This record gives sequence, structure tokens and C-alpha cells, in this order.
Amino acid sequence: MEFGTIEREIHIDASPEVVFDVVSSPEHLREWWPDEAEFPAVPGGAGRIGFGDFSQGGTWAQFAVVDVAPPRLFSFRWTHEEGESAAPGNSLLVVFELQPVGTRTLLRMTESGFRERGWDEAKVAAEYAEHVTGWDFYLPRLPAYAVKVAAGAGA
Amino acid sequence: MVDDDLWSAVGDPTRRRVLDLLLSEGSGTATSLSEQLPVTRQAVAKHLIVLDRVGLVHPTTAGREKQFRVDEAQLARAVAQLADVGAAWDSRLQRIRRIAETIQRGKDTSNKTKKQ
Repeated sequence: MEFGTIEREIHIDASPEVVFDVVSSPEHLREWWPDEAEFPAVPGGAGRIGFGDFSQGGTWAQFAVVDVAPPRLFSFRWTHEEGESAAPGNSLLVVFELQPVGTRTLLRMTESGFRERGWDEAKVAAEYAEHVTGWDFYLPRLPAYAVKVAAGAGA
Repeated sequence: MVDDDLWSAVGDPTRRRVLDLLLSEGSGTATSLSEQLPVTRQAVAKHLIVLDRVGLVHPTTAGREKQFRVDEAQLARAVAQLADVGAAWDSRLQRIRRIAETIQRGKDTSNKTKKQ
């Protein structure tokens, strides 16, 4: 097992334009990952994503857009300290690559930076664990959201 | 629950090489491992202490130098924790797929309605 990088591929029955929008817009990000997402979807755009109970402040992670090339590529860095510029060594890099396959899309995701972060890895891992728990908690609201999107798009 | 120390122990590339060598050779000493790595015997000895502390290797004293072996149960535990990180992405990607496909179906339906 390669400890430094996570790589995944998934076929999606939607056009690259639609998939690009889902992986790159803060509005959609909120529906598949964090509870809050605030960032301009432009190269270098800095912002943050938030998790958890915001009545108790929530947990925020720094988030910075790296590349935006619709509908083929979207990448960002996250987990760097507030006040720092995201760069190799202080953050994790997530890259989404979209490839059209007929009318469908092959979505490739890689997350790297674990190796470079060395000892900080433990801290990042702990954050990941919280996210896993978070998904278990937020899973039930997703079907309702999907129906809402469908109704909106069909209107 | 992720064990921070365990993660830190396998988070270092040299320590992962040490684990690989111990797994492929069954056992090793700081001296025998350093001969196969681009680091000194002293550096390897320090890495072995870190690995020992989290239970990934166990020393046995036979002869003049400690022989180390991998604790495979503990290693399996570390690997399982790392797999959890990948599992989190599997869940996110499934959600991305469902959201995108729902939007696409909505668009296809509305296009058909317009054409009629």
C-alpha cells in the first residue's frame, strides 16, 4: 500500500460539465463533504471549509483553490494553518481530473501530501477520522437533497 | 479511532523502508538494516525505537545486537486505519456521483420537455 497518496476513479453517468460543477462549487461541496464551504472557485482563491456543530464554533479547515480548468481539472489544497499560504509541505493536495467517456465522465481523484507532512500526518489523520464520523451522521440528509435538486432542475 | 502515534510511526518514509525490509527478511538488526538503507546505523536504531514504542516491532536479544521482528497484528491495525482515510473518499465520491447523476437526469428531462 502506498501511504503517501490516495487514488480513486469513478464513472459517473453525467456530463463533465455537470460533474465539474459538483466537485468545484462551494454550494455543491457542502452537499458531499463539509457542512460549510466558503471559497472563490478561481485559481489561488483562499477560503475555508467547516465541519460539525457551529453553535459550538465548529471545526474549520483552511482551503485554497489551485487550478480551475472547466470541465477537465479542479484542484485544491487544504489543512494548512490559518494565515499560511497553501504550499507543498504544509497542506494536502486534492486533484479532480475529468475525462469524457461517451456521454459519461470518468472522475479521477488523488489526494497527496501525507508523506511530505511527516509528523503532522497524525493530526491530519485525526481530522480524517472526524470526517468519517461526520459522514455517518450526515448521510441521511442526502436523498432529500437529491430530490430537491431534481425538482429544481426539472422546473 | 485513529491512534496518532501509530500514524506518526508509519508516516516516515525511512521507517516504512525498515518495516518493508523486516517483513521481507523476517528479522534484522540496526546494523543489518543500515547496510541496506542510505542512513547510518544510529539513525536506524532511533527509527527502531519509535517503531518499538508503538508496538510495530519487537526486539529479542540474541547475540550482541537486538534482533527486531515486525508485529504483524499491529501492522494490520495501522494499515486498517490508513484504509479508513481512503474509505472516507469512497463515500464522498459516491455522493458526488449521486448528485451529478441527479442533476443530469433533471437536465435531460427538462430538455425533452422543451423539445415537445
